[in-house]
Amino acid sequence: MELIIDNLSKTYSNGVKALQDVSLEIPTGMFGLLGPNGAGKSTLMRTIATLQEADKGTISLDGIDALKQKNEVRQILGYLPQQFGLYPRMSAEVLLNHFAVLKGISNKKERKELVKALLYKTNLYEVRKQNLSGYSGGMKQRFGIAQALLNNPKLLIVDEPTAGLDPLERNRFYNVLSELGENTIVILSTHIVEDVKELCTNMAIINQGQVLLKGNPREIIDGLEGKVYQKTIAKLELENYKSNYQVISERLFHGKPIIHILSDTNPGNGFSPIDADLEDVYFSQIFGIAANPKSIV
Amino acid sequence: MMWYNIFKFEINYRIKRADTYVFFIFLLLFSMVGVDFVFQGMELGEIKRNSPLVVAKTMGAITGIFMILVSMIMGVSVLRDFEYQIESLMYVNPIKKKDYLLGRFLGSFAVLLFVFSGVFFGMALGEFMPWHDPENYMNFDLFTYLHAFMTITLPILFFGACLFFVSGALSKKLMVVYTQGVVFFVMFMLTKSISNEFIQAILDPFSLTTLSFATKSWSVVEKNAQLIPFWSVLLCNKLFWSTLGVVILAYGYKKFNLNVMKNKRFKGKKRQVIDSHTEDTNGISIPETQIQQGLQSQWAQLKQFSWFYFISICKQSSFWAIVICGMVIILINSISLGTVYGVDSYPATYFIVEELQEMSIYFFIIIVLFYSGELIWKERSAKLNLIYDATSMSSFVNLLGKYFGLILICIVLMLALILSGVVFQTLNGYYEYEFQVYFYGFFLEILPFLALYSFVAFFVQSLVNNKFIGIMVVLAFFIATIALGLFGFEHPLYFFGGNSLGTYSDMNGYGHFLKPYLFFKTYWFLFGMLLLILSSLFLARGTETSFLKRFKASRNRMSKPLLKFTSFIIISFMGIGSFIFYNTNVLNDYWTTADATEFRVGYERTLKKFEYLPQPKIATVNLNVELYLSERSYTAEGYYILKNTNDIAISKIHIQKLIEGDVTLDYITIEGETTIDTQYSKYDYTIHELKDPLQPGDTIKMSFKQTFVTRGFKASESNPNVVANGTFFNNEDFPTLGYNKKYELRDNDERAEHQLPKRADKASRDDVHELLNARSGGDSDGIDFEIVIGTEIDQTAIAPGKLLKQWEENNRRYFHYKMNQKMINFHTIVSARYEVKKDIWMSKSGMAEQPVHLEIHYHEGHHYNLDRMMDAMKASFDYYSSNFSPYQYEQMRIVEFPRYEVFAQSFPGTVPFSEAIGFVLDINEEEDVDMAFYVTAHELAHQWFGMQIEAANVKGRYLILETLSQYAALMVLKKNYPEDKIQQFLEIQQKEYVEGKQREAGQEPSLALVENQEYIYYAKGAINMYALQNAIGEDKVNLALKQFINDWNSLDGPLKASTKRYPTSKDLIGYFRDVAPDDLQCLITELFESTTEIKID
Repeated sequence: MELIIDNLSKTYSNGVKALQDVSLEIPTGMFGLLGPNGAGKSTLMRTIATLQEADKGTISLDGIDALKQKNEVRQILGYLPQQFGLYPRMSAEVLLNHFAVLKGISNKKERKELVKALLYKTNLYEVRKQNLSGYSGGMKQRFGIAQALLNNPKLLIVDEPTAGLDPLERNRFYNVLSELGENTIVILSTHIVEDVKELCTNMAIINQGQVLLKGNPREIIDGLEGKVYQKTIAKLELENYKSNYQVISERLFHGKPIIHILSDTNPGNGFSPIDADLEDVYFSQIFGIAANPKSIV
Repeated sequence: MMWYNIFKFEINYRIKRADTYVFFIFLLLFSMVGVDFVFQGMELGEIKRNSPLVVAKTMGAITGIFMILVSMIMGVSVLRDFEYQIESLMYVNPIKKKDYLLGRFLGSFAVLLFVFSGVFFGMALGEFMPWHDPENYMNFDLFTYLHAFMTITLPILFFGACLFFVSGALSKKLMVVYTQGVVFFVMFMLTKSISNEFIQAILDPFSLTTLSFATKSWSVVEKNAQLIPFWSVLLCNKLFWSTLGVVILAYGYKKFNLNVMKNKRFKGKKRQVIDSHTEDTNGISIPETQIQQGLQSQWAQLKQFSWFYFISICKQSSFWAIVICGMVIILINSISLGTVYGVDSYPATYFIVEELQEMSIYFFIIIVLFYSGELIWKERSAKLNLIYDATSMSSFVNLLGKYFGLILICIVLMLALILSGVVFQTLNGYYEYEFQVYFYGFFLEILPFLALYSFVAFFVQSLVNNKFIGIMVVLAFFIATIALGLFGFEHPLYFFGGNSLGTYSDMNGYGHFLKPYLFFKTYWFLFGMLLLILSSLFLARGTETSFLKRFKASRNRMSKPLLKFTSFIIISFMGIGSFIFYNTNVLNDYWTTADATEFRVGYERTLKKFEYLPQPKIATVNLNVELYLSERSYTAEGYYILKNTNDIAISKIHIQKLIEGDVTLDYITIEGETTIDTQYSKYDYTIHELKDPLQPGDTIKMSFKQTFVTRGFKASESNPNVVANGTFFNNEDFPTLGYNKKYELRDNDERAEHQLPKRADKASRDDVHELLNARSGGDSDGIDFEIVIGTEIDQTAIAPGKLLKQWEENNRRYFHYKMNQKMINFHTIVSARYEVKKDIWMSKSGMAEQPVHLEIHYHEGHHYNLDRMMDAMKASFDYYSSNFSPYQYEQMRIVEFPRYEVFAQSFPGTVPFSEAIGFVLDINEEEDVDMAFYVTAHELAHQWFGMQIEAANVKGRYLILETLSQYAALMVLKKNYPEDKIQQFLEIQQKEYVEGKQREAGQEPSLALVENQEYIYYAKGAINMYALQNAIGEDKVNLALKQFINDWNSLDGPLKASTKRYPTSKDLIGYFRDVAPDDLQCLITELFESTTEIKID
């Protein structure tokens, strides 16, 4: 099972080029799509999820033309959109059952069992009778993944599932995701590097509609090994460092900026080498194109 | 100046929105035909269509009709912040409540004024539209429109703005914005039931009754010339509503609280659910399930969707608000049902159903309009659409589920209305509920209508992809279909939805109307299904919303099963369409209104020259009629004996067959050798030339056989006369002699369009031709009559005359009637399943007594007023035979016929009486005049005035026929009922006279010269005759009438014989003058020869 995206392009009517010649091969397992807000991740996800038309290019899933044979894709698709609401005056159990019917699970007994199992799985069983209007963000997301799993999807697309969740809720969510079988293609989009690092076997970095980098997170990190250096500096010096070094990230630690730079050789000058992290990879890639890293951090 | 910023923000926001302009243009277009729409079907007479009163009323009505727009504009202004969930952002800013509310209100109100200025501009522009007849207009005066807009529309808008703004802001629910229009409508209807005119004038929010009240005493000239009187009750009305508006606004201001609102919202609506502890979920395996995509699963989905969407609307309190409003308004409005002459009928189920239908249609339309939008947008409003769209459900199944959900909602409202109807009946002590009539009335008549419009609503919503604009487009479609119907696009194959179902009658049920109706509805239902399929292809799925993108994508959206289903629907649609076409246009002739008009014009142009051509008169009628009513067919075979009563010989006999496709003349032969001239056969008019002309005084026999055959069904079912149970037709359906004036085009405006001269309803009193004619198409000076009627085995057939014999043969029943003396050439054929009540009245002429057989043939169950009718017959016979002249026949039969027509009519010895009057009146001895008694007495009086004495077919004819019958019946009433009932009756007549006078398009004639004005010969006639007998005495009047009948009766009246003409009003008034003393001669002039209004004391 493999999803092949070939030369996909999309320009919105307002002129924004959301996707530019995107080509990806996505095997089964967890695939991370990393990029800043507005990079085109959601556009790509929606296009794969048959919700949007592309201007150019193809998407095929084991011989199915996903842009034309939408219904064939939908039968094996699970999709969790970036933002969604729930009917407020309805319980999780009722709504999940409703979704089960519309995904084609017609046998009443089977459906009941399935809904029950998924509610257990997503830890919502105890609150299944409560109105959805009272659900927290994390519960809502777990409900979202429960509905996406109803039809035992071969292709699962989860768009920024952890945005706005606290760390505990994030963990719970990942627990659910990580259990999925290896026969499923799971595409996870996020702007949080941690997510990809913890979960994904494959990944791609995307920005301004273009794929910057794709591969296995481990190998990608290996590529930067020995090239990342760190230094704590004074605030006033920041501009100075930015013009002299390839600064890929800056963050504050006890009120003072710590910067990471990329260098093939040891730059000295108080910089100490550190182990490359996926975050460094991400920022180095973004930085390579975007002139102003501040907008990312 | 914080409020000013908010004000500006509001206006800027609205300026950018399309619906602002859509509303404006909608009102502009609608207002251009506003006067035509509001005054449709009403006779304006001499009042000009741009007179201040008409303009003001139209503006009031349009503003009233579109209160819903006021609600949409004002109601959302605060609500919007909640809708988009930015209220917390808005309210944390340091805005003062005063600034916020004032800015929002004034901003929205400014936009509202802009939108409704469309009414002002539209109406002013409408005056210049080419389709208007300039005769109906005065010179254009913009100030008239401005004045009406400022005095009528502006205050309504202000009140509406206050109310809707506050209710929207306080309720924070979009559905409230929709439904408050309904509530407002209910309030308006409530004011209609107030009997005090002044209070009603104050309370009418749209000032329609206020304007009528304020200008009640105005003449036509004043109505045209003067501006509407602002310094009158109108000012009170406007002050009342504006003050109420301010009060509401103040209340809203007090109640609205930025902070409390915010907290309440979170506390009240979102009860936080406590998350459960994290548990190890690794062990839980998800069971394998079978995922089906076939028909079975789609069926399960359809059921699920239908129920799901149905329940989702049921959960909305706004829906129940509509239901309760509907039930309440019916209970209030059903107080007067089936009212005839001020008397209410028993709350029979069909009355209730008709009342419910009429009142509730507005509610149903609102439900279809708004909930279709709600349902189409349901997922998108909840932001769940992407989840739905990414599943493999079929858009069509989803849409169909929404459709059925909406239909279920309509059904709930129907059941609620039925319940309220049953409650109403029970409260009135009426327990014959007839649930099948309720069922038919709603599920057969209303539901298909709603089902079809729901298809359109879903289609438009899917295509337009904007909820508000969608609603407006559906509304426009709705109005456009009505307009198209008026413009003559009336064939049910292309007039959306086809015709409505015919009238329900206790006697005949829905009769033959039902079958074509069901075919038309099925045809359109299939069409609607195709619309729904198209909708499912174009409906936005995913994030692409532009129409072009959806159009392109639609090609890939047709699945194979859907394709099969679509083909099936298309084939059925075309099949049923062809079948309908075969029935309406092949088996039957299809005539548009324009065709019919052309035909009438042609008839008159070609044949008018024969109008007064000397023709023989019918002297004998002898018929064998076979009625096959289960097939709605009959044959009539027999002969007329024609007599030449002219001074010259006649060589050409002109015969007119009834112009109707169902009717054929199998043969028509005239004794002796004849040649037939068929050059006018287009008009079913043939000329038979006799080889030997018919000499004066000679007779000749004309034999014919006429067949009426119902073939399939017609585009519009016109003939309610030959029906399965309750057939009622008269001799005008059989061949007649010479030119028939009844085929002429009547409406003088239409005649002018076709260059035909103006047509008077009645000729002048010295018209030499019509003085010899007792009725249009009478063809006779009296006949001998004999008839044998065969009918269905379970029916009774009735015609004038003595029943000589009755027998059964070939599983049919036969009746042989023969009249014992000469009668006018006006006879009926009636047949139905009857119950009968019999009695005898003894006629005394001189010493001899002779029995007169009294019979009432009535429909089973319609027994309420039989005794009253029987008493009326006896009382009438007593009075008339002792005061005027003996009764001439040996029998009197009252026969009930279906309520397709609402009248009672007198034939020799026979009175067909409509189901709708008399039989089911709920007469309250205390409150009501016994109208069953009165109408019977009136019809029996026609046995004298109409049967014994006929009047010349000229102006004043109805003074003799109708006014004298009114007088006679009134005297019988006076003799049998207390004085206050007479006063009550006269008051009703007074009211009808005043109302009729207001509708009068021309000059009001005197009674002596009355033409077809019912308000004069019935209403004013009764009043003036009563005044006459008060002044000169009842016995003097009766003496005059006795003499009049004696001198002029058709059988042996000496003056009738010597003048060879029929009497006129001039002759009648002469008899009154003879019995009146000199000092009261001027009173007679006043009563009969002037238009003075006589007040009853």
